[in-house]
Amino acid sequence: MSTEPAPAAGSPAAPAPATEAAPAPESELTGVPVYRSAGLGFRTRLTLGLIVAAVLPVLGFGVVVLLATGASGDASSNLMRVLLFAVAVAVVFAVLLAAYLAADLAAPLRAIERSVERVSAGDLATRLELPGDDEFSRLAESHNRLAANLERRNRELRRILNALEAITLHERPEVLAIQAGARAREAFGMIDCEILLVDPRQIPFEEVVPGEAVPVRAELSAAGQVLGVAVGHLPATRRWERADQDLLELFAIEISAALRNAQLYARVEDQNRRLVALDEAKDDFLRGVSHNLQTPLASIRGYAQQLAAEAPDRRLGIITEQADRLSRMVRQLLTVNRIESGSLRPRLEVFAPAPRVRRTWEALGAGDVPFSLDDRSAGWLALADPDQLDQVLWAILDNAVRYGGRTAVDALVAVDAGTGLVSITIADHGAGVGDDDRDRLFLRYERGAERPSGEGSGLGLYVSRELCRAMSGELVLEPAAPDRGAAFTVSVPAEAAEES
Amino acid sequence: MLHGGPGPYGVTAPRILIVDDDPNLLVILAEQLKADGYEVQTARDGEEALRRLAQSWPDLLIIDMLMPRMDGLTLAREVKARADLPIIVLSAIDTADSKADLLEEVAEDYVTKPYHYPELRARIQRVLRRLGDRVPRQRLNLGPNLALELHRREAIVGGNVVSLTPTESRLLYALAANLGQTVTTETLLARGWADTEDADPSYVWVTMRRLRQKVEIDPNKPLHLLTVRGIGYRLVGASAPVGS
Repeated sequence: MSTEPAPAAGSPAAPAPATEAAPAPESELTGVPVYRSAGLGFRTRLTLGLIVAAVLPVLGFGVVVLLATGASGDASSNLMRVLLFAVAVAVVFAVLLAAYLAADLAAPLRAIERSVERVSAGDLATRLELPGDDEFSRLAESHNRLAANLERRNRELRRILNALEAITLHERPEVLAIQAGARAREAFGMIDCEILLVDPRQIPFEEVVPGEAVPVRAELSAAGQVLGVAVGHLPATRRWERADQDLLELFAIEISAALRNAQLYARVEDQNRRLVALDEAKDDFLRGVSHNLQTPLASIRGYAQQLAAEAPDRRLGIITEQADRLSRMVRQLLTVNRIESGSLRPRLEVFAPAPRVRRTWEALGAGDVPFSLDDRSAGWLALADPDQLDQVLWAILDNAVRYGGRTAVDALVAVDAGTGLVSITIADHGAGVGDDDRDRLFLRYERGAERPSGEGSGLGLYVSRELCRAMSGELVLEPAAPDRGAAFTVSVPAEAAEES
Repeated sequence: MLHGGPGPYGVTAPRILIVDDDPNLLVILAEQLKADGYEVQTARDGEEALRRLAQSWPDLLIIDMLMPRMDGLTLAREVKARADLPIIVLSAIDTADSKADLLEEVAEDYVTKPYHYPELRARIQRVLRRLGDRVPRQRLNLGPNLALELHRREAIVGGNVVSLTPTESRLLYALAANLGQTVTTETLLARGWADTEDADPSYVWVTMRRLRQKVEIDPNKPLHLLTVRGIGYRLVGASAPVGS
């Protein structure tokens, strides 16, 4: 043992606390001496103590005898030798005996020390064996109890962790509470355990009656909110200590967090479900409205056409056209609903765009308005949803007739091979769109300032632009030009019509 | 067929059962169809339709989507559970509706209200003609990287499900019915665009090109959809995995 204070050799100027591992030197700078504990071992101290205890009386006796005989001259020298011999023998015996006794007494302490080290290193299985009925064996017993308790709690903790892991998240809080109660019962070895999602004050505390099942409870709270209480019973033989209660409360904290999550999740789920249901109800309603409007329109249209086939009449044509107009407006409302719910799903088909423009124009029934179609898209086919493109073309052609003051309508179908887009520009020769209106035109429920508010739905351009965009296309208002009125361009993807 | 009729290409007129709760529509549609030589029966609701089915099977059903008591979708499922009769659904909902997918599972085709009669007639003709194609209702495996589930309008390409448009699946229908043989562009045009007036062969070309991009692992080196230049197309199975 290097217990004596040693000056820091070779580095006398080093300040004392600079190196913690080095033996503390006597600081030359401060002059304050620094010592470490003498720290003799228990065994050494016991040995020394026993030796002193055994040898002192002998020495004392010798001194007394010497003092008593010192005056009587030379007889003393003989006695002196005898005495010295006796002292020497006594010392030797004392040393041997002391060493043996000290070793015997220190051995259990060593054993206890090693055992404590094992326990603190996590080995809880091995027990300390110290036979006998002295303080040491009692110490060993309580040490063993400590290890056993630690081991039991570890097992419990593991069971609790397993129990927590087994609890299904995203379960409804009531289900979670039932699950957690059952898990707690298993984990803590209870007779019964329930998690009640009520105010704990409603559940009275139970008295502990010796010989009967032991009641235990722990409150559940999370984020400052009391969620409920866990109550259960233990077998009467089971000891319930502070550490067990701590574990139960730890369990309660974890369960509370899970419960709170479940509650929040359930609330969100519930809201989602309600929103989905509401959405479906709205869709169903619109479907029903649409059906109830379109079915009579189908009859009107069918009969008008049948009559027209028998005896052609301009008025029957008007009936057909107006029935179509009405049915398109109904569809427009459905489309707005889909735009808003983000469920526009274009079905891309391949077709020549120009004939489509002409057919839509014919369906519009504006026979008195001059119309020209310039098709420069030969060799290309549009890639778009035909129904949706029809809706767009109809809205724009209809606008051109209405707001162009029945001036000539020109359509130009062209292809930009670079961008792979086919564009359909439809222009009238009316007053055009005022600067104030240009930005507002594509907004929902907006019409140009000049236009009577009773006319049209105000949805046409908004719906058309959204439909174009859903098909990876676009709808724009062309800049004002002197030789025309309002001009809109629809563009959708196109493909070269080649055999491949 | 129970009534012994030789079918759409036979001597007797194809029989069509129309189911709609609107009497006006029933009358006008029945008259229009009769004028075109079809034999027409009508039913006001799903139950009446099923009663009529118990007596004899028509060649085709036209069913209204929204009806009181039993809706068109339920009726279509009931019908399909009894016999694989072709069904055209007539409804106010369009292709973009979320219910359109459900319809496609049970119905061969659907027409939106108010229908345009020439279009409806073209679709009836197409559906009746398609009865001649013997395409299995189950999956058709064409090789390690391509399988077709045409009744669901899906192709499985290298393990991924690719959805097909109605036209694309109609073309594949026609090609799969003649597996390994060349189908002319004109035939494909008639199959795919029966109800389109101005369709020309370029519609087939472009659609096949797009189809190839969907179903071939390498569209530039097609293994299944082969062009027979100047004539038509061929659908073939491939046995060796790609790249070996």
